[in-house]
Amino acid sequence: MWTISKLTFKEMISKKIFLITIIMTFVFLALYGTAIYFAAKESANAAGAIQGTEAILMQKFFASQLLGVGLYFSSFITALLAILSSVSAISGEVASHQIDTWLMRPISRAQFVLGKFIGLVILMMVYAGSLFFGIVLLHQGIGGEWMALDFQPMQLIKAVSVFVIQPFVLIAFGILLSTRMTTLNAGIVCIILYGASFIGGFIEQLGAVIDKANLVNIGIVTSLIFPVDSMYRKMTVFLFETSDNPLSIAQGGMFTSISSPSNVMVWYAVLYGVIGVVVSIYIFKKRDV
Amino acid sequence: MSVIETNALTKTYNGKGGISDVTLSVGEGIIYGFLGPNGSGKSTFVRTLLGLLQPTSGEGYILGEPIGTTKSREQVGYLPELFRYPDWLTGRQLLESHAELCKIPVRQRKKRIEEVVELVGMTGRENGRISGFSKGMSQRIGLACAILNDPKVVFLDEPTSALDPIGRKDVRDLMVYLRDQGKTVFLNSHLLYEVESVCDHVSIVHQGDMVAQGPWRELMVTEAKVEVVTDQPITVPMPAFVTEYQHKNERDRTRMIFQLENESDIPNIIHYLSSHQTPIYEVKPITPHLEDVFLYWVNQKKENMYVDNQ
Repeated sequence: MWTISKLTFKEMISKKIFLITIIMTFVFLALYGTAIYFAAKESANAAGAIQGTEAILMQKFFASQLLGVGLYFSSFITALLAILSSVSAISGEVASHQIDTWLMRPISRAQFVLGKFIGLVILMMVYAGSLFFGIVLLHQGIGGEWMALDFQPMQLIKAVSVFVIQPFVLIAFGILLSTRMTTLNAGIVCIILYGASFIGGFIEQLGAVIDKANLVNIGIVTSLIFPVDSMYRKMTVFLFETSDNPLSIAQGGMFTSISSPSNVMVWYAVLYGVIGVVVSIYIFKKRDV
Repeated sequence: MSVIETNALTKTYNGKGGISDVTLSVGEGIIYGFLGPNGSGKSTFVRTLLGLLQPTSGEGYILGEPIGTTKSREQVGYLPELFRYPDWLTGRQLLESHAELCKIPVRQRKKRIEEVVELVGMTGRENGRISGFSKGMSQRIGLACAILNDPKVVFLDEPTSALDPIGRKDVRDLMVYLRDQGKTVFLNSHLLYEVESVCDHVSIVHQGDMVAQGPWRELMVTEAKVEVVTDQPITVPMPAFVTEYQHKNERDRTRMIFQLENESDIPNIIHYLSSHQTPIYEVKPITPHLEDVFLYWVNQKKENMYVDNQ
């Protein structure tokens, strides 16, 4: 199993798409840093005339919005990379017949699937975690005093722990589809569900702002079907602690969380991923390759 | 002891294609040819044995272990017909990965890899990336993978498809070397001469059915013909075991071809001619063409099916 994990890990790193992703990630971080620098400079000048509570509200709003945007885009990049790498994990090898010589060795189908999953999950979780801290450090460092938000270490640990559940769920689901469908079909299904998940997330936030239970419920249902966006929302709750904060509505926005997913949802997402892997193994055990 | 054993093993795709009702037993230390045209189900059979395909019905064992289990693949090597290896690895990295999967002890890996690389004629080229390998080189590195774990049984599916004549000879020599080491080689091939030149036992498959199996020498004797050169046409009456004969005059000699009932009648016809004072200058058994042998067995199967249906 570990040999397959190592090979999966090495394969991802050796692929051009990974190199391109790393380069583009640095480009994104550079752009984000530049934007933060100028946003902080301009906002500080503009807010100079405003004093008191209004100034605090404005600072909190801008700072959390900009950090939210950075993290949302990071979550998006991570999700795409997780989807693209996982949907071909099994189907690609079956189509090219590369899988034949691996599976004829004395390893079980379960070990093969688990090896693939572990290799991809470790890589993507490290990537997601690095991106998360990259964004937070840029925001706190380059943004200066005006942009800085107060974070406790525990807040950051909790937030990043939930942030990395997103690739965990996506890879488990991608591999599940990959054991059954062609790479293209699995990719389409995964991206559509991911899209539905984040649209559901926006609808839920909107429902919370205008106090419409039906809209909130739509968001909850999409989270149950595909618990990816809800993990992003939960991360923002841990990071900004918006749910218990009286300033949460002002501080929040579309990229943070007004309607907070419960802790049960976190466990649900983890269980969702685990079940995804178990079902993948079950399906793959019976499949002709 | 049977290294490979199957009992009515069947693999079909929605009731079509594949291979049906294969019952065979392959002994230790032989080269077993699985002969048939393209699309006859040879690869399906091997892939079913290796657990890559789920059998539709029947059962099979490799070294006494039921097929599909990890234990049945512990002492097995395999070169697939469609050999594709991760092109981002070097030849050596590929072998190292397989060595890890086969649980070859770390200390022995380097030595074993060097041995197999030399056996397949890839010394000095194993450190190149697979993406830069020719088809022939890929097939050679695939062969190295197949024998890396010093397996007791090696499945080779069309192992010379990408090789030049020298490469083909190397592979034939390798198969003989493996057999001499006591290994069993299961050779899938549609190349009659390849099977003839190295195989001890042969199964002939056609359209998913096994039409014949047995020692190659016995299968070859589909008809008993002998050519006898005398100095004049024979006038004596022919014995009953001669089913047909023809002659051709060539200057001061007559070349006669006798079709006999059995191969064992060849000495009888010589004895008969001698007893009738016919001078014999040359005797040459006629071996049938490989294609004729193959078609003979395919036709035999069809005839039997026709009789069964009647």
